Amino acid sequence: MIKKLAYLVGGVTLLFGLWGFYDRFAHGHQNANYGSYVVWGLWVAMYLFFAGVAAGGFMIATLDLLFNIKIFKGTGRVALWGSLVCLVAALISIGLDNGHLFRVWKVYLQGNPFSLLFQMVWGYTLFGIISVLALVLATRQPDSRWLKPLMVVGLVLSFFISGAVGALLGVNASRPFWHVGLFPVQFPVFSLASGAAMMLAAIGFFGRKDDENRAQQLWVLSIASVVLLVVKFYFMWADYSQSMYGNVPMNVQAVRQVLFGEYWWAFWIMQVLIGSLIPLFFLVQRKYATHNHWAAWMGILLLSGYAVARGLIIFPALTVPELEALVHAFSGPHLTFNYFPSLMEWAVTSGTIGIAILGFVIGSEKLNLFSTTPKEA
Amino acid sequence: MSEPQEAALLSKVASEVFAGIIAPALENAPHIQAAEHDVLAKEDVLVRMERELKRALQKTPAERRWVMVIDLRRCIGCHACTIACVAENKLPPGVVYRPVLTEELGKYPHVTYRFLPKPCMQCENAPCTPVCPVHATYTNEEGVIVVDYDQCIGCRACISACPYASRTFDFGINYTDKTVDGLPMMLGSSQAGKYETAGAAFEYGERRERKKEESPIGNVRKCHFCLHRIKEGILPACTTTCIGRATFFGDANDPDSLVSELIAKPNVMRLKEDLGTEPRVYYLV
Repeated sequence: MIKKLAYLVGGVTLLFGLWGFYDRFAHGHQNANYGSYVVWGLWVAMYLFFAGVAAGGFMIATLDLLFNIKIFKGTGRVALWGSLVCLVAALISIGLDNGHLFRVWKVYLQGNPFSLLFQMVWGYTLFGIISVLALVLATRQPDSRWLKPLMVVGLVLSFFISGAVGALLGVNASRPFWHVGLFPVQFPVFSLASGAAMMLAAIGFFGRKDDENRAQQLWVLSIASVVLLVVKFYFMWADYSQSMYGNVPMNVQAVRQVLFGEYWWAFWIMQVLIGSLIPLFFLVQRKYATHNHWAAWMGILLLSGYAVARGLIIFPALTVPELEALVHAFSGPHLTFNYFPSLMEWAVTSGTIGIAILGFVIGSEKLNLFSTTPKEA
Repeated sequence: MSEPQEAALLSKVASEVFAGIIAPALENAPHIQAAEHDVLAKEDVLVRMERELKRALQKTPAERRWVMVIDLRRCIGCHACTIACVAENKLPPGVVYRPVLTEELGKYPHVTYRFLPKPCMQCENAPCTPVCPVHATYTNEEGVIVVDYDQCIGCRACISACPYASRTFDFGINYTDKTVDGLPMMLGSSQAGKYETAGAAFEYGERRERKKEESPIGNVRKCHFCLHRIKEGILPACTTTCIGRATFFGDANDPDSLVSELIAKPNVMRLKEDLGTEPRVYYLV
C-alpha cells in the first residue's frame, strides 16, 4: 500500500515536474521569480536541503558500516542509497539554477581552488564516487577490507560538504543574517538531523516486517531526531536573539522577515508547528515512535520542516536591500526584493522530489536494500 | 526693520531661488556679463578629463588606476547616466549597471531629495571575485573588475557576495518580447526585435549579438567603467552624458589629474567603508 502510494506521489510530482523541466530548458530562467536582488531562490534552498539529507544519510550509514552498532545492523545500505538519491536531487536542483549548466566542466578543468563553490563541487564529486563504491562493496563484498576506509573518508567528506554549505553563506560579510561564524558548525548538525528523519521514513515505511530490530531502530532514531531538533532550535534561538539584541538593521530586518514578515506563515506554521512541534509530540512517546507508520510520517513532517528551514535561511537575507533606496532605483523584470517561487520553480522542485521518491523506492526494491545480510539480497 | 527680520531677509536674498528671480534684472549689468564670459572661457571638465585620459593611456595598464568621483551636490537626479549606460552597453530589461538611488528626506514642507548614482565600486578588496568558482570575474591589470562572459557559469555567487548590489543577472529578456507585431512596413516586434537583438554590443571590446542561450544571456553582468571606450580614449558613457558635470573619471595615479585633486578633498567619502572593500568610486558630499 505504502509503496503504491510512493509510486503515485513520485509519479504525479515527476509528471508536474516534466513541465517545469521543459520550461526551464525552453525559456531558461525567464519564468523564475528569483532575480538580481533575491538572487537565490527555491532551487538553492532545495539544494541545501537535499545535500543536507545526503550528508546526513551517509553519517547514519556509518553507524552500521563503520561503527558496527548492533541495533543499526542492516540499515547501512538503505542509508547509503537514500544519501545517493538525495545527492542526485541536490545536484539537479543546483544544476538547473546555474545560468550555463553545460559549463560546469569548467569548475573541474579551469577552476578557482580558493572558491568555496569549487571546493564543494570537488567535494560532492568525491563524496558521490565514495558513496557508490561503498554501496557496491556493502552489497556485494561486505567483508571487504576497503569498506571501512571508504566509510571513514566518506564520513569526513559528509562533514565537509555540509559544513561548506554553511561556509558558502557565512563568508558573505555584507549579509549579517548569514555572516555567522558557527554556520559551518551548525550545518553538519542540520544534516545529521535530516539524515535521521530520512531514516525514520525509510525504515518506518519500507523496513522489513520480520526485522526484530526495527522498533528499536525507530525508537533510537526518534530520540536522536528529538535531540537534534532541540539542538537546532537552540542554534536558531542563539542566532535570532543575538541578531535582535545586536540591532544591526540588516540583520534585524531579516529576522523580522522570518518571524513576522513575508515568511511568518512558513516559519510558524510550516517549520515550527508542522515540521517540529507535531513530530516532537509524537516522537517522544514510545508507542508512536516505534509504530512504523507513525514514525515514518513524523519523519516526513520533520523533513518538510527542514526543507522550509533551508528556505528561511536563504530568502530573508536576500530580501533585505543592501542599500535602502535600491528598491525603487531602477525598475525591470527580476529587480525586486520580494520573493515567492513561481509556478515553474515549484514544478522543477516537484520533479526533483519525484525523481528522489521514485529513485529511492525503485532502488530499494531492486537492490533489496532492506535485507539484513547481503546474502539474502 | 528688526535684526531677526533682517537676518531672515538676508537668508532669503542668499537663496538660489531668489537669485533666480533677480537674475533677469541683472542680465544687462556689465560686471555680470564679464563674469559670464569668464565662465564660458573656462575649460569644460570633460575636455580636461579627455586629455588626461589620453595621457594615462600612454602608460602601461598596470601603472594606471582608474577611479570615478561623483559629486552628489551636483547630481540633479536626471538618470541620464543610467540611460546612457543602458544604450552604450545595450542592456536588456532587468540589467542595470548604474542606477541612481533616490531618497526623499525630511517632512513637508522641509523636503528635499538626495540622489546617489551607483556604478560598480570596482573594489580593491573585492568580495565578489574570490567566490567565483571558475575565475570568470577578476580584477584586470588596470584595477577594473571584469566578467569573462564565456567563462561564467551563472551561479550568481558574486551577486550574493557584492555588498553594493552592483551586479545583475541577464535572464535573456528583450524589450520587444511579447509585443505585438506590426504590418511589414511598420515597426512591430519583429522589426524592433531585430534592432534589439541583431545590433551587436561591444562590451569588453567584443562584438556580441544577442542570441538565445548565448552569453551574456545566463551571465552575471556589471559596470566595467566602459573599458571599450577607455581603450579608444573616450570617457565612460555615464561621465560624458552627465548634464550636471557631477561624474568625473580618470587616473588616480596621475597626480595632476582632476580625479586626484578631487579625491584629496576632505569632503570625500566611499560607500560602506567599514567593510574594507576599498572602493574606487568616491563621492563628494
